[in-house]
Amino acid sequence: MRQTGAAGKTSRMSVAAAEPSDSKHATTGALLDVRDLCVSFRDDAGWVPMLNNVAFQVNRGETVGIVGESGCGKSLTALSIMGLLPRRGCLRTGGIVFDGCDIAGLGERGMRQVRGRQIGMVFQEPMSALDPVFTVGDQIAETVRTHFQVSPREAKERAVEALASVRIPAPAACATLYPMNLSGGMRQRVMIAMALVCEPKLLIADEPTTALDVTIQAQIMELLLELGRRTGTALLFITHNLALIAESCERTLTMYAGEVVEDGSVEAMLNRPLHPYTAGLLASLPGRRAPKSRLSSIPGRVPSPRDMPAGCRFGPRCTFATAICQEPQRLRAVDNRRVRCARAVELVLAGAGG
Amino acid sequence: MSEARSVGPILTVENLEIAFPGRRRGQVIQAVDNVSFTVRQGETFGIIGESGSGKTTVGRALVCLIRPTAGRIRHFGEDPFALPAKALRRHRRGYQIIFQDPNAALDPRMTILQSVREPLDVAGAGTRRERQRKALEALDHVALGPEMAARYPHEISGGQKQRANIARALVLEPRLVVCDEVVAALDVSIQAEMLNLFADLQRDFHLTYVFITHDLRVVAHISDRVAVMYFGKIVELGPATGLMNAPLHPYTKALLSAEPEPVPAHMRNRGRIVLQGEVPSPLDPPTGCRFHTRCPLAQPLCAQRDPEWRELAPGRLVACHFAKTPN
Ligand SMILES: Nc1ncnc2c1ncn2[C@@H]1O[C@H](COP(=O)(O)OP(=O)(O)OP(=O)(O)O)[C@@H](O)[C@H]1O
Ligand SMILES: Nc1ncnc2c1ncn2[C@@H]1O[C@H](COP(=O)(O)OP(=O)(O)O)[C@@H](O)[C@H]1O
Ligand code: SF4
Ligand code: SF4
Ligand SMILES: [Mg+2]
Ligand SMILES: [Mg+2]
Repeated sequence: MRQTGAAGKTSRMSVAAAEPSDSKHATTGALLDVRDLCVSFRDDAGWVPMLNNVAFQVNRGETVGIVGESGCGKSLTALSIMGLLPRRGCLRTGGIVFDGCDIAGLGERGMRQVRGRQIGMVFQEPMSALDPVFTVGDQIAETVRTHFQVSPREAKERAVEALASVRIPAPAACATLYPMNLSGGMRQRVMIAMALVCEPKLLIADEPTTALDVTIQAQIMELLLELGRRTGTALLFITHNLALIAESCERTLTMYAGEVVEDGSVEAMLNRPLHPYTAGLLASLPGRRAPKSRLSSIPGRVPSPRDMPAGCRFGPRCTFATAICQEPQRLRAVDNRRVRCARAVELVLAGAGG
Repeated sequence: MSEARSVGPILTVENLEIAFPGRRRGQVIQAVDNVSFTVRQGETFGIIGESGSGKTTVGRALVCLIRPTAGRIRHFGEDPFALPAKALRRHRRGYQIIFQDPNAALDPRMTILQSVREPLDVAGAGTRRERQRKALEALDHVALGPEMAARYPHEISGGQKQRANIARALVLEPRLVVCDEVVAALDVSIQAEMLNLFADLQRDFHLTYVFITHDLRVVAHISDRVAVMYFGKIVELGPATGLMNAPLHPYTKALLSAEPEPVPAHMRNRGRIVLQGEVPSPLDPPTGCRFHTRCPLAQPLCAQRDPEWRELAPGRLVACHFAKTPN
């Protein structure tokens, strides 16, 4: 394993190889285990890799956030897990083990048993996921009937219960409404009700509050977390809002240019981010503490998937880049965390609020 | 109106009301309801509030894109709407607005340079050479070089489009720029860059900004004073630091407490107020204080009487029956 001399001297952190393929998956007992996930799309010039060896786990009942700038592969990761990638011109490799079963190998029919029942999903724009021609009550009841042997009447009752559980006032009346007659916040609640009605073991929420106002966002987040706690549902929460992750998740994954670059507890990340990219995201948030001060920003842009740097993918934007960064970076374990940066241990990066 | 500079502040808004016709006959949407404030030259005046609270509508009226239903807008003490049509068109060049969606503002068939030059072409100012030079200068101010100038909108990133959009507003050398959610669609790293750019441009060109956003972090960072809108009304107005540190209105308090903080748990401000209920319908506004349907402190009086504006401390105004003087 490569290791710089400087790193050993300047830090008390322990470092070990953690290339995902080295670790023993079978014994981890994680609810979700994504192994070396790669996704490519075909264009005129050939196959373009979008996700590169994405690997992480989500434990039962855990809340895990995924953060990163747009285009870094957050949504593709979610779609891969759900088996919702486009069928044509798209190639996926790697393993996705859910509750002990490799769902990457399941076909569309198999996935239909998993989706909605075992893994629920909430999207940023609920209108795209709700059918405009059916009432929300019918849509939730339909989800129930897909997965459980119940009478239409019971399915309807469960739908109303689900609407009540997301604190919709007058749930029975709401069940008779069409999606277009609901406000953005209400629609998102309906989506959550629909995602949770089958009590899935995992809920994937992709930017569930990005389109909402901050007071409504607070309502929805409170609801998501409370329902998660009550039913023991694990949450994979995708957002570009680090502040939201700070308040709601136990663990974060930072994604950059189609790779996981940092993985660890939220507290540890906020106190001392390991990857310069995570630190850059934290530092560029305007705060209430130093109004009018110059904000630090991350120079440059996320590289195009067609034009990836050969070494560290963050290298061209990184102020800490040195000769060792010319090598492709591996995801390495540091204490209980993982990071894809050769200098992570030696650099002591500033966290939030300090 | 440059001679009029000494007559008054760059912008005075007095009892502004703007109503739109609803979908059905006779229906009225009161988008802006009795709004008053002034903006001093060189300051950044922030407006925050939830979706539909009337921020954009106010912003458009400030730059003469909407005529007030009632009340008055003055630029340096003069009512621009009193100007004859041709003079109003000229006058407008000094008062620009930049919108959230840079795609909507840039013509996909024009190069960036053409788009930035277009307002000058329309104004017919100077020779073509001069206009070209001015447009290139404006692009340079927003850090877009000549190689970017030749590109089309689809060939540049979102952040670069927003820069081009700013250049398009700057090329007319405005005094006041209304920025409507200009950083909302951008990633935090690019957002930070843009906020720095706005600060530089303000310094270099003595610009006055009205900065509309629903992002508290952004408004706290950039503003000198802040107005908080709820349902067509300003419910609180004051210096940014005071308002952010010690909000007076229950809605401002709720807004601030709902904003997540990216800090470790032990540093976090406890005591979040999660507002219950939805934003009311604009077709059926609540009686009395507009906020009473969601206010955790509402009393019976609140549903009956609209609270008056009160100045509880110098420069700190609030519209709530029960707000107390900050200590
Ligand atoms: N041209 C119009 N015709 C009818 N109603 C309008 C028109 N423009 C705005 N409104 C209504 O006026 C109210 C205020 O809208 P406005 O766009 O000013 O809100 P905003 O505060 O800018 O919201 P957002 O944060 O979503 O941009 C809303 O109820 C809106 O639906
Ligand atoms: N259907 C698709 N066809 C081709 N490229 C795609 C498709 N979906 C996503 N991508 C590309 O994959 C990359 C990651 O996208 P995405 O997962 O949506 O990012 P994020 O959610 O982090 O913003 C981007 O470069 C995007 O352009
Ligand atoms: S490996 Fe080098 S270039 Fe990459 S993030 Fe670490 S220090 Fe920066
Ligand atoms: S007037 Fe009443 S309802 Fe309105 S903000 Fe004050 S306490 Fe709340
Ligand atoms: Mg996405
Ligand atoms: Mg608006």
